[in-house]
Amino acid sequence: MFSLKSFLLASCATALISSSAWAADPIKIGVIAEAQAVAGSSIAPAAQLAAEEINAKGGVDGRKIEIVVYDNHSSSAESVRAFQRAVSEDKVNAVIASYISEVVLALEPWAGRLKTLMITPGAASDVITQNIAKNYDQLKYTFHGYLTSTSLAGLVCDAAKDLLVEPYKMKTAVIMSEDAAWTTPLDAGYEKCLPDIGVKVVDHIRMSPDTTDFTPIFNKIEALKPDVMITGISHVGTQPTVQWKSQQVPIPMFGISSQATNSTFWKDTNGAVEGVMFNAVSGPGVAVTPKTLPFVDAYQKKFGNIPSYAGYTSYDEVYMIADAIHRAGGTDPDKMVEAMEATDYVGTIGRVAFKPKGDPNPHALRTGKGYITGLMLQWQGGKQVNVWPKELAAGTVTWPSFIKLKAASN
Amino acid sequence: MPAFVSSRLFWIGALTVIVALVLPTYVSGYVLGLLTVAYYTAVFAMSWDLLFGFAGEVNFGPTFLIGVGAYTAGILDAHYSPGLSIWICIAAGALAAVVGGVILALPALRVSGPYFGLTTLVAVLMLQNFIVVAAGLTGGEIGLAVPDVISIDAKTNYWIALGFMLVSGAILFGLSRSAIGLILQASGQDKIQAGALGFNVTKHKLAAFVVSAFFSGLAGALMVFYMGTASVSTFVDVGVGVQIIIAAVLGGRRTVIGAAIGAIFLIGMGELLRPLGELATLIVSVIALLVILFFPDGFLGIIRGGAKA
Amino acid sequence: MLFWQILIDGFAISALYALGATGFTLIFGVSGVLNLSHGAIMVGAAVAAWAAAGEFGTGPYMGALIGILAGLVLAFATYFIAVRPIQRSRAIAESEKEIFILTATLLWGIIIQEAIAYLFTNNAKTVLPIVEGVTTVFGVRTPRNEYFTAVICWVAIGLLWFLVNRTRRGKSVMAASMNPRGVTLLGIELSSIYLTVWAIYGLLAGVAGILLGMFLGVSSYSVGPLTASAFSIVVLGGLGSVSGSLIAAYVVGYLETGTAYLISPAYRTIPALLLLVVVMYLRPQGLFGRR
Repeated sequence: MFSLKSFLLASCATALISSSAWAADPIKIGVIAEAQAVAGSSIAPAAQLAAEEINAKGGVDGRKIEIVVYDNHSSSAESVRAFQRAVSEDKVNAVIASYISEVVLALEPWAGRLKTLMITPGAASDVITQNIAKNYDQLKYTFHGYLTSTSLAGLVCDAAKDLLVEPYKMKTAVIMSEDAAWTTPLDAGYEKCLPDIGVKVVDHIRMSPDTTDFTPIFNKIEALKPDVMITGISHVGTQPTVQWKSQQVPIPMFGISSQATNSTFWKDTNGAVEGVMFNAVSGPGVAVTPKTLPFVDAYQKKFGNIPSYAGYTSYDEVYMIADAIHRAGGTDPDKMVEAMEATDYVGTIGRVAFKPKGDPNPHALRTGKGYITGLMLQWQGGKQVNVWPKELAAGTVTWPSFIKLKAASN
Repeated sequence: MPAFVSSRLFWIGALTVIVALVLPTYVSGYVLGLLTVAYYTAVFAMSWDLLFGFAGEVNFGPTFLIGVGAYTAGILDAHYSPGLSIWICIAAGALAAVVGGVILALPALRVSGPYFGLTTLVAVLMLQNFIVVAAGLTGGEIGLAVPDVISIDAKTNYWIALGFMLVSGAILFGLSRSAIGLILQASGQDKIQAGALGFNVTKHKLAAFVVSAFFSGLAGALMVFYMGTASVSTFVDVGVGVQIIIAAVLGGRRTVIGAAIGAIFLIGMGELLRPLGELATLIVSVIALLVILFFPDGFLGIIRGGAKA
Repeated sequence: MLFWQILIDGFAISALYALGATGFTLIFGVSGVLNLSHGAIMVGAAVAAWAAAGEFGTGPYMGALIGILAGLVLAFATYFIAVRPIQRSRAIAESEKEIFILTATLLWGIIIQEAIAYLFTNNAKTVLPIVEGVTTVFGVRTPRNEYFTAVICWVAIGLLWFLVNRTRRGKSVMAASMNPRGVTLLGIELSSIYLTVWAIYGLLAGVAGILLGMFLGVSSYSVGPLTASAFSIVVLGGLGSVSGSLIAAYVVGYLETGTAYLISPAYRTIPALLLLVVVMYLRPQGLFGRR
C-alpha cells in the first residue's frame, strides 16, 4: 500500500516536471499489468523507473519515453480492452504486458492484428512462442521477455542436481503444480529432466488454482514418501506455504513458487516460508550482472519494497525497447520487430538475446551458459538468500526444524 | 399522465439512439470499442430483466446461458476454422444457449425464491467446473483462443453491436409489453392468483426462458468473436452475473430499457474512473448502492419522477 | 490411516463450515434476509486480525479480539446500511424487497472486498495461529490448530444453543424466527430482536473468519466462494434450520474432503454441487427444511 502511494506520487511528480524541453514526439510504452497481484505489482513501477533513467540521460534520440499504465485486474477481457485503448486511443509504440500466460495468450493475436510490439515480463507458457512459430508473419510482434516453462523446468533440474541429488542423495520426487497455461509445459519439462538427474517422479499432482485446503494434497504426497516436492505454483502461494509449515510436512519444497520471489511474502505467511527454495532470475544482494544491484537499490529507494521477478524483466524491457527503437531509427512496427530480434543486451537478469525465426520457440529468451542461467533462492530468517549457482551463492541450504535431512558425508 | 411519461421516455430513447448513430463520426476507436462491449452487456442485462425482473425470481444464472452460447461458438470455431463460417458458429451458440435454457428451466421452475436463486447459481458453478475439467476442449483456466474475429475495425464492430442491441432491445421490450410480460409480472406478484385466472404460468415462464436464453447466448457468441478469446472470467464467472444483475436493478427493473442504460452506465463509469485504479470498482459499487437505496426504481425511476414533478 | 485422515481433516473443515453457516441461517430464520456480504464480513474479520497481529504487533490474542470486533462492526454496518433502509422503505413493494436486499448486500460485500484489496492488496493472508505445532493421533499428524479450530467452532455453536434455549432473550429470538408477528403481540420490539440477531451473527462470522484465516488463509478473492459455500450449505440443510445447517455442513465438508483424498483434489467441489442439484430437484425445501 505504501509503495503504491509513493508510486502514484512519483508519477504525479514526473508529470509536473515534464516540460517542453523535448524535441520530438514522445515514445509511448503501454504497461498492462496486475496492480493488485504480488508478481504483477512491480511491473509498472519498474518500467517507470527505467523510463525516468533513460529520460534523465536525454531520452531516445531526443525523444522522451512515456509510460502509460493500465490495471487489468488479472482479467484477459480487461487486458484486451486495455490493449485496444493503448493502441488506438493512447497511440503507444510498444506494450509491456502481464505476468499471466492466459492474459498474454489472449493479447498475442491482438498484437498481430494491431501490429504493435508486445513483450511480456513474466508469463511463462511455451505456447506463446510456439504460436509465433506456427504463424510468424501474423504473430511476430510478440516477444517473450521471461523464461519459458520448459527453460524454467530445466533450470530447476540443474539446481536440484547440485543442491539435492549430490549432497542429499535424493532419488524420488512428487511434482505439485497448479492447473494453468504455464504449468503444462513446465510439468512436461520436469517429467523429462528429473529422470536425467537420477530422480524418479513417483506422482504428479495438479490442483485447481482456487484450492484453499491443501491438507489432502500434502497428506497424499507424504504417503508416497518422496524425497522432495517439486513445485510449479504462481497463482497460489501463501496458502500451500502456510499449510506446509503448520502441518509440518517433512518434505522440502523446491521449484517454482512465484509469490515467494516477492519481499512481502515473509510477512504474508507469518514466516512459514522459512526453508522454501524457489527459482528466480535475480535476488536481493545477488550481482547477476553489474546492473542488478543498482536497479534494486533505486527501486527500493523509490518505492519502499523489493521488486518481484517481473519487475527486473520489466525494467530491462524498457531499455530493450528503447534500444530497438534507436537501432530501427524510429517506431515503424516492422522495423522495431527486426531490431528487437537482433537484441543483445546485458540487463539485470543476465545477457538477453532472442531465439530466431525458424526455432521451435522464436522470440523466446536464450538460456544456459553465457545467457540467462537463473538462481535458486531460499528464504532464511526473513531474507531471501541465494544458494545456487555456487559462484553467486551467498549462503548454504538450511532446513526448517520439521525437515530432518543430513548431507551425505561424502 | 402515463402517456406523457411514456412519450417523454420515447423522446429520451429516440435522442439516445440518434446520439449512438452519429457517435462514430466524432469519437475515437477506443470509445467505440468500449461501447461495443457495453452494448453486448446491455443485451445480457435486458435478457435478464425480461425473465427475472418481470417474474420476480432471483436468478444468479445469466452467465450460464451466456457461457453456453459463448463457449459453443468459440469451441466450434477453434476446432473447425476456417472451414466453418463464424456466423454458423454464432447461430450454433445461440441454439445451444436455448437448449441450455430449457435444461435449466426444467428444475428451476419447480422451485422459487432463494431455492430458485441457488439452483441457478449452482448451474453457473457446474458450468465453470466443467470448463476447467474439460480443459482439452475448452481451454480450461487458460481460456480459449479463437482464431477468427468478426472484424478488427472498431466502427464495423460498433455498428454490429449497436444494431444487435437495438433489434434485441425492441423485441424484448415488445415482449415485456405483450401478454407474456403481463402474465409474468402478475405471476411474480401473486403466483396463485395468476394461476387461478387461468394462465398457464409455467408455460409462459418457459417461453421467457427460451427467449432470454436465445438473446443471452447470441450476445455471448458475438462477443467471443469481438474479443477473439473466451475465458471463464469474461463469460461465466459469478462476478459477471452480479454485474448484470446490478446493471438491471440500477437502470430500473421491469423496464427492459433501464437494464440497457444500467449496463452502459456501469461500463462507462468503470472506464471514466480508471485513472483512480483500484478505487474504481469501489466507487462504482458505492454509487450503485446509493441509487438502489434512495431511488429504488433506478435511473428510469429518476427520469419518471422528474416527469411527475 | 487414510480413513482416520479423512475423518480428522473432514471434521475440522466441516466445523468451520458449520460455524460460518450458522449465523447466516439464523439471520434468514429471524428476518428472512439472505446476507450476500457474508464472505466479505468473514474475510474482513480475518484481515483485521492479521493486520493487528502482524502489522501492528499486538500478538495473536489481541489480534483475534480485534478481528472479532471487526466482524461485529461490519455486521452492524451491513444491517444499518444495506438491510434496514430497504426493510423500512415505503418506495419498495414488499414482494420486491427480497431482490433489493440481495442486490444491496451483494454490493456492500463488493465494497468491503474492494476496500480490503485497496488497503491490504489481494495477497492471501494467514492469521498468526494461537496454537502452533502438531500432534499425532491414530497415526495421523495434524496441526494442533486444526483441533483448536474444531473445538472453538463447537464451543461457539454450543454457546449459541445455550443462548437460544436457556435465556429469555434467546427464547424471544427463537420465537421471532417462528412467528415474527406473534412476538410483537407479546410486547417485544422486533427491531431489538433484529439487533440481537445481527450482533450474534457478527460474532459468529468474525470468529469463523479468524479461524479460517489461521487454518487455511484468506484473500479478497475468497469473498465470493465463501458466500456461495455458506449459501449452499444453508439451502441444503433447509433455510432457517440451524440443526439442518450443521448436518449439511458436515455432509459437504466430508464429501469435499473425501473427494480430495480418494479421487483428486482437482474435483473437490463437484460432488457437493451434484448433491445440491439432486436435493433441489427431489426435495426443494432442503434436507431438513420446514415449508
